[in-house]
Amino acid sequence: MRPPAEAIGTLALIVGVIAFLIFVGVEAALVYAIWRYRATRHVAGEPATFERNQRLEIAWTAAPALILAVVFVLTLGTMAEINGAGVAPAMRIAATGHQWWWEFRYGGTKTANELHIPVDTPVDLDLTSVDVIHSFWVPELGPKMDMLPGTTNHLRLLARRAGSYDGQCAEFCGVEHAWMRIRVVVQSQAEFDSWLAAQASPAATGGDGERVFLSSICVSCHAIRGTTAAGTAGPDLTHVASRATIGAGVLPNDIAHMRAWLADPQRFKPGSLMPRVPLADADLDALAAYLGSLR
Amino acid sequence: MTAIPLWVRRPAAERAGWLRTVDHKEIGVLYIGMGVAFFAIGGLEALLLRAQLATPEASLVDPETFDQAFTVHGVTMILLAVVPLLVGFANYMVPLMIGAPDVAFPRLNALSFWLSLVGGIVLYFSFLAGGAPDTGWFSYAPLSERAFAPGTGVDYYIVGLAVNGAGTIIGAINLAVTILLMRCPGMAISRVPLFVWMTLVTSVLILGAYPALTAALVMLLVDRQLGGHFFDPAGGGQAVLWQHLFWFFGHPEVYIMVLPAMGMISEVIPVFSRKPIFGYGFVAGSSVAIAFLSFGVWAHHMFAVGLGDTENAIFSATSMLIAIPTGVKIFNWIATMIGGRLRMTAAMLFAVGFIAMFVIGGLSGVALAVVPIDQAVTDSYFVVAHLHYVLFGGTMLGIFAGTYYWFPKMTGRLLSEGLGRWHFWLTFAGFNLTFLPQHWLGAVGMPRRVFTYAASTGWGPLNLISTIGAAILAVAMVVFFVNLARSIRSGEIAGDDPWDAFTLEWSTTSPPPPENFASIPAVTGRRPLWDRKHPEAREKE
Amino acid sequence: MSETGFIPAERKPPALSISLGSLRAQGPLPLSPKIDRTLLGVAIFIASESVFFLAIVLAYVAYRDSGLATAKANLDVVRTAIFSVALFASSGTMARAARTRSGAWLAATMILGAIFLTGQGSEYARLLGEGIGPGSALFGTTFFTLTGLHGIHVLAGLVALAGLFIANLGRARAVRASAWEAVGFYWHFVDAVWVVVFSVVYLGTFL
Repeated sequence: MRPPAEAIGTLALIVGVIAFLIFVGVEAALVYAIWRYRATRHVAGEPATFERNQRLEIAWTAAPALILAVVFVLTLGTMAEINGAGVAPAMRIAATGHQWWWEFRYGGTKTANELHIPVDTPVDLDLTSVDVIHSFWVPELGPKMDMLPGTTNHLRLLARRAGSYDGQCAEFCGVEHAWMRIRVVVQSQAEFDSWLAAQASPAATGGDGERVFLSSICVSCHAIRGTTAAGTAGPDLTHVASRATIGAGVLPNDIAHMRAWLADPQRFKPGSLMPRVPLADADLDALAAYLGSLR
Repeated sequence: MTAIPLWVRRPAAERAGWLRTVDHKEIGVLYIGMGVAFFAIGGLEALLLRAQLATPEASLVDPETFDQAFTVHGVTMILLAVVPLLVGFANYMVPLMIGAPDVAFPRLNALSFWLSLVGGIVLYFSFLAGGAPDTGWFSYAPLSERAFAPGTGVDYYIVGLAVNGAGTIIGAINLAVTILLMRCPGMAISRVPLFVWMTLVTSVLILGAYPALTAALVMLLVDRQLGGHFFDPAGGGQAVLWQHLFWFFGHPEVYIMVLPAMGMISEVIPVFSRKPIFGYGFVAGSSVAIAFLSFGVWAHHMFAVGLGDTENAIFSATSMLIAIPTGVKIFNWIATMIGGRLRMTAAMLFAVGFIAMFVIGGLSGVALAVVPIDQAVTDSYFVVAHLHYVLFGGTMLGIFAGTYYWFPKMTGRLLSEGLGRWHFWLTFAGFNLTFLPQHWLGAVGMPRRVFTYAASTGWGPLNLISTIGAAILAVAMVVFFVNLARSIRSGEIAGDDPWDAFTLEWSTTSPPPPENFASIPAVTGRRPLWDRKHPEAREKE
Repeated sequence: MSETGFIPAERKPPALSISLGSLRAQGPLPLSPKIDRTLLGVAIFIASESVFFLAIVLAYVAYRDSGLATAKANLDVVRTAIFSVALFASSGTMARAARTRSGAWLAATMILGAIFLTGQGSEYARLLGEGIGPGSALFGTTFFTLTGLHGIHVLAGLVALAGLFIANLGRARAVRASAWEAVGFYWHFVDAVWVVVFSVVYLGTFL
């Protein structure tokens, strides 16, 4: 099976070439008409009076119809190819849209904002939303698919090259729609397996930072497996430090940025549902360090 | 007979007449004034959006303000600028073109204008009442439900659009009855000018499409104010119902916006080519086909919603089908020009510009009918590019053509051709610079309705080019407004028929007297004034 | 300008226009048909309102299944059928009124229409009393919206009927025939919508 992005790319190229040829042809006819028949050019003679030609009308109705029929057949072909119906997926990942972050669930293992998939493996995403309509879109990996509350949509992913691919939410979902970015990491099967195993394991426990975490309101929204924190309104933080960004792409993920984020998330992502929690400086340092250790 | 329009030098004592007028010409001017004003406001909103997006991670405006700006920009341009401009020209010109003294229901005509305007005012009042709607011009549920849009913005959207829509529906009834029942002797329906044909077809579209929007708005209001569950999945409703209803209105709406403009250039091109329109029957007939088909394509706005391959394929087929009658028109316009004697006046430049830009918009539209391509680029700047090519490159250029053509009839003075050329070329350059790069931005991943974008995306340079284009467009509009203002006061006197035109509106004075015609026109063909001027070359019908 | 839009031949055409005489000399040409403007306007308006109601009905039907149990348990077909008869009968009285231009039959129509609305109101009161309203469950939302919008149209019809009644109190022939027909047309439309709504909501629930 071809990767969906490749199938679409080929079809787009064909349609693009056809469109370009039509564009050139029509615009050339237009320019020709203006140049050849402009009044300043012809001084003698009356303008023509012809005003109908049924054969011509039929011809230039039939020709586009024929071209479109061909394009339609190609469309059906590509649709059948990219929906992955003929090829069973090797794995299913549940993807849920939230305002304004992504929840990914591999069986029982939850993570957020960063999706890992093995290379050369057909993967199906089961897409839904807990609030408004979002849309999962990573252009280099395939088409987009909307995430509607109350229903489940499906999207087939198949990547042939390892690497990091970026995308973002493609259905206006509120004030921070622009900062609902996705990173998809395509890895070898071995690397993927070890990543998934690490994600499935509980967090290392203990320390000052963990104490701060468990004693503030963080626990009402966030979960860290291995502790008592089991909140579901916000992203799962069990392995938050394994991700490249904070806040679905709004900040790079290192301890300094994490500390700034914790001090005032509204400064970086105003309108997001994470409130500003007043914490003492020492507590912020400990918390940032703790979260930075959750690889 | 004086060419200075009476309404320009109307003494103060008579000015209350504007508020109570029931004359179709004055109501037409009111509509056009409304359209021009809201076009300027919508344009300023667009400049704000482009300024914010010129550079990555800019903070010129906060996301809340940006979201209100793009929401109101869309509603303004579509419902408060373009539609009133088109309805305004139709109001003014259709009775003249069919030899009638007014529209069928003059008082209802006034009512429809005031409803349209009040709807717009209600929408804008939201800025003063806690915030404008910020959920996009198509306001998808459940984002537009109380839970996610708790302010009153969306409620003002609902009421404003419903009132404005009522005005438009009433206006459509009026125009349809006028065209069907008030044509002068000899003006069979197969002889009416194409602008009249398009107005008739557009009226039918309005009457079939706007009620669906009204229904959706009522349901949303029930959800928001009475705790209903039409679009609330938790209560058993479905978010997708809103989309079906909205786009059942929304797609015919774009043809409502383009067909009258196509009618305008169907008047301009023959006159400035000195030839009859090629294929009148096919141009008229293809509009009927477009109207019919336009009610069967709505779900091509929903290819990524998950309706399923079968439904998607059906709507893909109908969407490709509708491209055919559209293409037919383009070929007919070019064939009109071939063999003619083209006078490249400002009106003609804009008409030709319409064709050139609409071809691009039409082709990107066909690309979007290809389901997998759409699933890749829908909800991205590719669609923003497409819609602006058809609605600005198409409709607005058509409206500009109509303006340069009919301004003399309405005011008795010509617009400056020199400024008109500046207006055209600045518009052409600015428009393409703004929107051509957006095709690429969409293809590489920039979604719609984002208030900013990460620097790491590399989308900065093309966005900057787009913003520069917008600035050039703004200059073009200033040139246009200067042309309008100057020419109303001191433009060259036009006379009855400055363009040596073909249709009945040019057989009366500029501007026409209140009763439109001093003598009753009688018609024997599609170019009644031409026939009168050239009795030796009578057309055979 | 006469109502039909046809320009009467008595008007003298001045020099600039082709005289009607020479026009006739070219043989008959299709002229604007003699349909009344007001009637055509009302007909087109009704067509437009039909699209509106169709959308609401379709939403009701789309959501019918999830609300069926509630509907079965709470709708009273017999009672509603009774006051529906009043509305259906009012179409008959309206037709009579228009034909005979009778204020009395017009009053009968208004009374029957008011009976219908009162019945509808009592149905609403009963349902609301049982905790079923637009906000309660999906059935409540769709039921109240569909029947409520219809009720608003009936009310608007009553206002039109009242206007006609008052105008008719003056000189009996002061009200144009087309006005009677137009209001009658609208009233029949409102009745027809109720036929659809009653069938879909009440009969559709129990049959």
